[in-house]
Order: sequence, then C-alpha cells, then structure tokens
Amino acid sequence: MKGIARRLAGHLARGLVMIWVVLTFTFVIVSIMPGDPVQAEYELLLQQGHSPQQAEAQTAMLHRFRPTGSVLEQYLEYMGSLLRLDLGQSVVTRVDVSTILGEATRWTVIPVLIGTVLSFVLGVLIGVYAAIKRSGKLGDALTLSGSLLRGLPDFVVALILAAIFATLWPVLPRSGAVNILYEPGFNLDYILSLGQHAILPIATYAISSYGGWILAMKSSVVTVLGDDFILAAELRGMKRSVIFRYIARNAILPLFTIFALSIAALFSGAIFVERIFNYPGLGMLLINSIGRRDITVMTGAFLLITAAVIVANIVADMFYTVIDPRVRRAGDAA
Amino acid sequence: MTLTTPMSPDGPPSVRIRDLTVVYRTAAGELPAVRDVSMDLAPGTVTGLVGESGSGKSTLALSLLNAVQPPGRISAGSVDIGGLGDVVQLRGDKLRQARGGQIGYVFQAAQNSLNPLKTVGKQLLDLGRSHDVKDLRALVAEARDLLARMGLDGARVLDSYQHELSGGMRQRVGIMLALVLNAHVVVLDEPTTALDMITQANILEIIREIHAERGLTTLVITHDIGVVAEVADEIAVMYGGRLVEQGPVRAVLGDPHHPYTRGLIQAIPRLTGDIDEAQALPGRPPTLTTIPDQGCVFRSRCALRMDVCDTVDPLFQSTGDRMVACHAVAPAATFTTTTSESEREMTPSRAWSGIGSGRREPAADGDGVVARETNEGDSA
Amino acid sequence: MSDVAAMTGATVTRATLRRNFWGSVWRVLLRKPSRLLGVVLMLGFAFMGSIGPMLYDRPLPRDPSVQFASPSLRHPFGTDFQGTDVFSLLVIGSRYVLLTALITAVVSVLLGTAVGLVAGFRRGALDAVLMRITDVNLTIPGLPLLLVLSTVWEFSGAWEMGLVLGLLGWGGLARAVRSQTLSLRERGFVEAARGLGLPNRHIVGRELLPPIAPYIAMNALMSLIVAVYAQVGLFFLGVMPVIGENWGVMLNRAVFDFGAMTTPARLPYMLAPLLAILLLTIAIVLVVDAMDEVFNPRLRVE
Repeated sequence: MKGIARRLAGHLARGLVMIWVVLTFTFVIVSIMPGDPVQAEYELLLQQGHSPQQAEAQTAMLHRFRPTGSVLEQYLEYMGSLLRLDLGQSVVTRVDVSTILGEATRWTVIPVLIGTVLSFVLGVLIGVYAAIKRSGKLGDALTLSGSLLRGLPDFVVALILAAIFATLWPVLPRSGAVNILYEPGFNLDYILSLGQHAILPIATYAISSYGGWILAMKSSVVTVLGDDFILAAELRGMKRSVIFRYIARNAILPLFTIFALSIAALFSGAIFVERIFNYPGLGMLLINSIGRRDITVMTGAFLLITAAVIVANIVADMFYTVIDPRVRRAGDAA
Repeated sequence: MTLTTPMSPDGPPSVRIRDLTVVYRTAAGELPAVRDVSMDLAPGTVTGLVGESGSGKSTLALSLLNAVQPPGRISAGSVDIGGLGDVVQLRGDKLRQARGGQIGYVFQAAQNSLNPLKTVGKQLLDLGRSHDVKDLRALVAEARDLLARMGLDGARVLDSYQHELSGGMRQRVGIMLALVLNAHVVVLDEPTTALDMITQANILEIIREIHAERGLTTLVITHDIGVVAEVADEIAVMYGGRLVEQGPVRAVLGDPHHPYTRGLIQAIPRLTGDIDEAQALPGRPPTLTTIPDQGCVFRSRCALRMDVCDTVDPLFQSTGDRMVACHAVAPAATFTTTTSESEREMTPSRAWSGIGSGRREPAADGDGVVARETNEGDSA
Repeated sequence: MSDVAAMTGATVTRATLRRNFWGSVWRVLLRKPSRLLGVVLMLGFAFMGSIGPMLYDRPLPRDPSVQFASPSLRHPFGTDFQGTDVFSLLVIGSRYVLLTALITAVVSVLLGTAVGLVAGFRRGALDAVLMRITDVNLTIPGLPLLLVLSTVWEFSGAWEMGLVLGLLGWGGLARAVRSQTLSLRERGFVEAARGLGLPNRHIVGRELLPPIAPYIAMNALMSLIVAVYAQVGLFFLGVMPVIGENWGVMLNRAVFDFGAMTTPARLPYMLAPLLAILLLTIAIVLVVDAMDEVFNPRLRVE
C-alpha cells in the first residue's frame, strides 16, 4: 500500500506541474491576444462612466484578468483565482463558466465513454481472435484492417458515417444532441431522441479507436501465448477456461498504458465529432468560444480538457498498479 | 523426514516408450526431431537423459505427456505408463487429467513457469479445481508440507508472486506443483540450469530424496553430465533425435561405448586436472534440417567412422550391460537383441561416486562438472 | 597492407549486404502484392505533390453553368461551387498537404530522436528533465492546444504549420528511442565502445543509431499520416483561414458552406479529399507493413 501511495503522490505532483504549464500557456496566449478583450471591456466600462477602480474590479471579476498593473501582478492574480477554481463568467453570455462547462461535459464524457468501452471490448475480442488465427488469411485481414482503422482520424470516420447514414440513406439525425420538439425530462420520446442523436457520435468514437485495440491486443496475446507459464499450465493439466483466464489477464494488462495515452486523442477527436454532428460538448464549446474570443470560457474549457486527460492518465496508471503485483509489491519492498 | 504421502499401493509405475517418432512441420516438409526411440524407465529409478540442445531430448520429454507443441506432432510409437495406458492415445479431459495428475512436469528454473499475476497459492487452487480436487484445504496443507520438506516456509511461499521468489525457490515450487496431486511419474527439464552451484547441489539432493520418499519414476533431462552422475541410476544419451547409448550410470560413465558419449565425457574439464585435457567435440550438433536421413546421425563428427555408417542406420542394441547404437561397437552377442530387456541390469545405483578415473570430486561439492554445449566449446 | 585488405573486405561485405537488403525488400514486396500497391500509391502521391500542380494553368477554369456537376469522365470527382474541376483542386491542394506533412515528419523525427538518444545515453538528471518534458508533450492534448494557439498566431503557411505540428508530435518517438537506447546500453555496446576510447559522437552515430534507424524510419512514415490529419483537421474546423489550396479547405467548404451533408448531389465534393486521405493512409500503412517485415524478419511466419 505504501508503494501505491508513493506512486500516487508522484503522479499528483507531476499533474500539478502540468496544470501549471497549461495555465501559464493560456495566460501568455490571452496576454498577447490581438484586440485584447480585457482591455476592451475595461475601456468600455470607463466610457460608461465607471471609476477606474470600479472598472478594474469588475473586469478582474469577469475575466480573471487585471487590465492594469505589471505582467507579474496580472499573472499572480490569474493563477490565484484559477487555483481557487474560480473560473469567472463568460464574456459573451455572463453565465458562470463552471455552469457552462458542467453542462457541456456531460455531452462529451458520456458518448466518449460508451464509445471507448464498446471499441475496447470489440477490439480486445477481435484482437484475441486475430492472435489465435495469426497465420491464417482472416487473421491477416483483421490485422490489416486494424492498422488502417487505427490510422483513420475521427473526422474522416465521422464524415463517412454522416454521408452514409444521414445523407445517402437518411435514417439517423445528423445534427444536435436531441430533437428540440421534445420536452426534456424522463419521457420516452425525449430519451429515444437522445439515443438516436448519440448513435453517430458514439459509432465514430468506437470505430476510430478500435483498430488500435485490435493491434495492441493481438501483439499482447501473441507475446503471452509464447510465455512459458502458459505451456506450464497446460502441462499441469489446468482446465482450458483457467488457461484462457491466465492469457486474458496477462494480455490485457499492457493495454492500460495504451489506454492512458489514447485519452488525449479521444478528447481531440471529440472536437471534430462535436463540430461535425453539432453536438453541444466540450469540444464544440472550445471552438465556439475561440470563434467569439470568449476568453474565460476558452480558458476554462482548455483547462478542463487538460485536467481530465491528466486525471485519466493517473487513474489508468493506478489501476495498472493495483492489478500488476510486480509494480504493486515492488513499491512495498522498497 | 516424515513421509507426507503414502506410497501408491502398486509401487512406482513403469514407463515404456516404443518406436516413438516426433516430427516437426517445416518449410522443407515434416522433419523428425525424435526418431524411432524405444526406452524403458524402470519403476522407482531416476533416468538421466543427456544431450546437446537440439538433440530432441526436450521433445522426447514432452512426448511423455503427449504435449508436443505445434508445429510438432507424435507421428508414430507409444508411451505406456503403468496404470495409465498409452499416453499417445489419450485425448481431451483424460489427457488433461493425466498431466499433473499422474505425470508431473518440472520446468527449468529460469523459465517463468508461474503466472506472474497470481500468487503461488492461487495457482495451486486453480490446479486443484482443474483436477476436481474435493478437499482444497487438504491440498493446501499437502503443498505446505511439501514446501516445508524442501526447506521453504510454505505459508509464505504460497502467498508470494513469482517475482518475489529466487531461482531455487521457484524450482522447489515447480517440484511442489508437479507432485502435489500425487503424480508418480515426474519429468524434470533442466532442473539445475541457471542456478548457482550451491542451489544446484541443494535441488539435486531434494530430487534424490523426494524421489525415494514418494516412490517415483523420474526422468531428468539435462545437458550436464554432472547432474546425471549426481542423481541418476540410469543414463540415456541422445543425439540428433536418436538414442545412442543407454545403461546404468556407473557403467556408462566409467566406460562409455558410443563415440559420442565418450566425446561428451572427455569434454568435461576436471577440477584437479590440466584444463587442456578437456577436449571439446569437434563439429556442431545437427539441427532439424541437417540431420542426415540415412546412415548414422553422428558420423560427421565421429572418429570411428566407417563406410557402412554412411548408408546404414546402426541398430540400438544390447551389448552386455547396456544398449548402444554404433557400427563400431560390436554387440557382445547379436542374438541378445530380443532378450536384451530381461538381461539388462536394472539395479539402481544410488549416488555416484568415483566413476572413471577417480580423479573427480562429486558434483555436489560444486566443481561444476559440466559438459558445455559443444558449439560453445567450438568458439572457445 | 592488411588495412587495405580489411577495407576492401569491408566494402565487399557492405556491397553484398546492400544487395541482400534490396533482394529481401523485393521478396517481401512480392510475398504480398498489396505491399507493392502501397509502394505504387506512395510514388503516385509523391508525383502528385511535386509535379502535379505544375500541370495546371492558373487560375483554374471555372464554368458557373456546371456547379456541383456529378462525376464524369471529364470531371472524375465532379465540380465545385464555381464549376471548377474537383480533381484538379485535389492535385493542386496535395502540394501544401504533403509538404506540410513532410516538414512535420522531419521536425518531429529530429527532435524525438535527439531527445531520446540524449536522455538514454546521458541518463541522470538530464534524462529526468527531458522525460518530464516528454511527458508534458505527450499528455497535453494537441488539438485543443493548437486551437488555443490559433487565436494569437495564424500558422497556416506550410512551413509554420509543419513546424508547429512537428514541435507537438515528438514525444512518442523520444520515449521509444530512449528505451531502445537504454536496452542497447544494457547489452554492452556502449561500454565496449567506451572501453575502446571511441568518442561519444562515434558511439551515438555508429553504435546506437543504426539499430534504431529502422524504427525511426517507420515512425517518420506514421507521423506523415498524423500530420496530414492534424492540418486537414485544423482547416476543416475553420480555425485556420478558409483560403488557399488544400484538402482541409475543400472539406470545410463542402461541409459547412455548401451543405455537402444535406444534398447527396454535393457529396462527391466532400468525398474527394476524404478519398485522397484514405488512399494516402492505406499507402503508408502498407509500406510500413513491408518495412516492418524487412527489418524484423522474426515476424515472418514460414
């Protein structure tokens, strides 16, 4: 347990450093942004007859940016407020950024999660099959399809799916998260509509990531099949089901590290998918806020995405640590 | 030193291998890794099977469990095990139950024969469930006793993962897993390779003692003649997929008949002698594709090569106290071929001592009486 | 004298090795004809990006009377909103796409290899620092970062785009090169070379790099794909100005300006760049597959 705690502490420290890097980056971006929105707001308030102190206080409250003072002061103010998780209000709509983010997060996380789990299960199963039949034609074809699909970016998959199922053979809605005709709430029409709208985004997430799982699982299973302990289990007369469990658990293990790395890609993919299907998630929010130069929302969305990736990385690694005794107990012994 | 398991009522089983041929599928067709091997393991004896890598000894060992891995397969012959019948004919659940149940297999210590993600104890339970053991508690108790018998803290080892065990401990765990279901035929594959000298001696002692205590029929596969001298009653020498000499350890090591056996013994560096006296066998052992398909497999490295060796495969026949396959070694009496089995001396000679010139110290004292793989000897 | 003999001996073996190498390349290609297809496609794209754009007079002819024409012999992918041939747009756009991808690959491979080699070779504190930087590079999601960056810097030129994408994409290679370097060290290469008094430059260039080179080459090819996706994606999303000639701009116009998704007749305009991307991906994947077998013969199933 001590090993796990130490590992977790290390991850958290590194995660904080990364958050700091990201915050600094966004601060620099906003500072040098052409047509400084903070300055513009400040001057507007002055024109409306506010005193400089009032105008400054209000701008700072809105944007987490002080329009005046040295760069260092501005930086400290910005970092301070964000570390207090105070994200301010949207420049455009004056709604709390945390509210906006909370609303958008649901639309990203749930479809991404479903799509990932689907592709993981499918990819792992097909990967096992491709590993067992690796010298056959079908195994070969599955492997090649895996490398092609791993290569294909989300937007190509999304556009092709949309072209087929929304344009040529229009059976699924192409835009939005739900039909606005229906009353939001727990009624069948609304839920059905939600499901219908989610099919294409989820399918995109699933298809564009499952090729990677096939390849990873296949090579992992091939490695484990060659391990001595599998033959040893067979020679000890272990049941097939037991041996299968030995293979599966050992082969899936390395996939967790890949999982961590793929999370960042998933969030990037969500930006395309949400733009193409007009889905109101975090990616859409980021694009729209950039288009409107809504710096508070932009900063908040970027921060949230980065934090989510970092946390997901940590969770994946901790999961790995808990499963693999070699990592878990190594920490304890030290 | 208490016996934890009563000896099986019928005593240790015998193993009869007859005309066993194992082939591997390659690009050049099916090539034999083991060809026409006949061999008996007398009940209650330890047989040492010696050969260089590629001689087919591991394949032969796997055949005892009918577990030759693809692309290999047993193409002919039988392996009769007392109380079990012909293993080659066993299929499905019966074969699976025989593995581990009646026949134990112990892997080389350096090989990771344990699932790295499960504790030894959990794998023991998997083993018990696979073999429909009713009383798992008794199984664990038996395993603990066996481990304790081998000088380990049973409870602690059962709670350990593979990476937490040393090579010698792993080897003992392997022996425990092979015996815990009360198997009476045990195959040990390179039991001391990759272990340090002290541990080697330790493991050999354990093998010898457990063998006697539990009434086993044991086959030890090794490239190390010192190991055979240390534990075996009988020695069988393999070359190029063929058995070339078999007989009582004392007799064969003291007076090897087959030129290959002689070469192997001469290649051993003596602790007390001049290092130059050790002579490596010239040439390389054949691989699957370079084994000649007719004539003697050893002729290209043989000092006693004759014309007949190129065309006629020498018969594996009895010459007095042993079996030899060599044209240059005239059988003591050709007519004994049919009655050879009954005539062969089966008296187990327990510990090796002072074989040959008498200059050698016992291997247990750690002098490393090892016949290195001759391809390594070449480069030296 | 003996030196000369040794040298000629060396050149002879090297020449033989090279012949063997090309021989094995040829055998690997022949074993699966699909790989040959990959090589042909790759050459086709190289031709398309380098020579292709010169074959057209600019501005491209427009014919407002045949807007969004269906595919025909004259217009294999139909025409766009101005009646311009979509295929010629595709060819002209390929130059930017491929040039950018090439720059990205070069930048990311140089950076990744350098960081990985230095970290693995030097180890110690420098290694720790470089690996933390690599972690940051790998963890921070690239596309959101690019989007935020686009608010202050319009990096739509081929060189700027290639540079930016390259600077973001070296982490994976660096990590892999480092671990390979470490494993080579373990095998005693480096200690042996050090013992012979060879300079670091020689050790890195002659001992460490060659065994890793095939892996780096394959990685370079794969990073071409990633670069194409990233830049086409940026233009497609509309965060880069929708001007200029490249596949991303075509996609953006087709989907967001001209309703290719709502009107089936306009689909070819959208599908053309997608098809090009697809073919490029297939070509690279097939070539990487062939390279993998040339360099890692153990994968061969005989």
